[in-house]
Amino acid sequence: MSTELVSNDIFLVQALIPTAPTNSANLEAIDWGVLATLEEIREDGEPDLIVELIDLYIGDAPHWIEAIRIAVAGNDAPMLKRAAHSLKGSSGSLGVRQVAETCRMLELNCSDSAGKVEELLQILNREFAAACDALVAERTRRLG
Amino acid sequence: MRILIAEDDAVSRRILETYLRNWGYEVVTTLDGDEAWRAMSEPNAPNLAILDIMMPGIDGLEICRRLRQLSGAITPYIILLTAKHGASEIVKGIEAGADDYLTKPYDRSELRARVQVGVRIVELQNKLAVRVKELEGALEHVKLLQGILPICSYCKKIRGDQDYWQTVESYVADHSEAEFSHGICPTCYETTVKDQLARFRAFTSQDSESAPIKRRLIET
Repeated sequence: MSTELVSNDIFLVQALIPTAPTNSANLEAIDWGVLATLEEIREDGEPDLIVELIDLYIGDAPHWIEAIRIAVAGNDAPMLKRAAHSLKGSSGSLGVRQVAETCRMLELNCSDSAGKVEELLQILNREFAAACDALVAERTRRLG
Repeated sequence: MRILIAEDDAVSRRILETYLRNWGYEVVTTLDGDEAWRAMSEPNAPNLAILDIMMPGIDGLEICRRLRQLSGAITPYIILLTAKHGASEIVKGIEAGADDYLTKPYDRSELRARVQVGVRIVELQNKLAVRVKELEGALEHVKLLQGILPICSYCKKIRGDQDYWQTVESYVADHSEAEFSHGICPTCYETTVKDQLARFRAFTSQDSESAPIKRRLIET
């Protein structure tokens, strides 16, 4: 298991990644320990792997969020489970922990009442927006 | 060592590819179950596969089942790498034919250790397959001597396949790769040959007049 970090550890992580985003509203959206682990496998002279992964995530995740929205609107539990599972995987891999957790809840509760999954969808939208802000800031910092 | 990965999620796939390449493996990347199945069905398919379970097309469990039904000499080592947690999911995966199961998010060093186990097993399988092939080749050159052989109690000839009697040495020579070189064992020398030689010498030296004729007879 990669280093698990709780919110109190965020300042420690910022020491490991000196110029991690400082917008505190979005900091907790990301498990910076996961990115620190990914940083270790970057090879000299190769393009920045984390920038590449952020681009892949930001390009891919909105499709799954849209699939989740359609599934919730259409009360389609199998589609909801499938889309939430996929987004959980990519979010977990990149340390987008809150989105991953909400996707896990959606996957578990895919057959629950429409009200419950709609509420989770709203939470997911907020968390994804916060995660994107943090990731875009990190991307900008790395390319800057 | 070539390793196939089947992962529909782009982020997870890119991370997995990077790990494996950094560890020195050649990676064959597939994006869904159908593509993975096609790649694993080819004659020179990778011997080790890391499969996601939930992906478009054939799922990872079905790929395991199909691969285990193939009759090739070497079956691939399969690691399921999935976000599906829990003992029942692991049992399902192993029963479908997976060799190992790792849940996401995974620890990099744990993945590496498990891949190394797979590589060791694949290499062992390959070595065994080579040895089996060598043994099969050797067996093709060996004629078998087996079953009940009818042998004469007096002259020790053996009744052969065509119902005629052969000496032991000609029968064995016909039915194996063995060849015979003739000699005299110490027991036969003492009990038979020694006495015959003595009588022969006595016979050839008894009568000087008839000796040349006897010698000529012996020579002919």
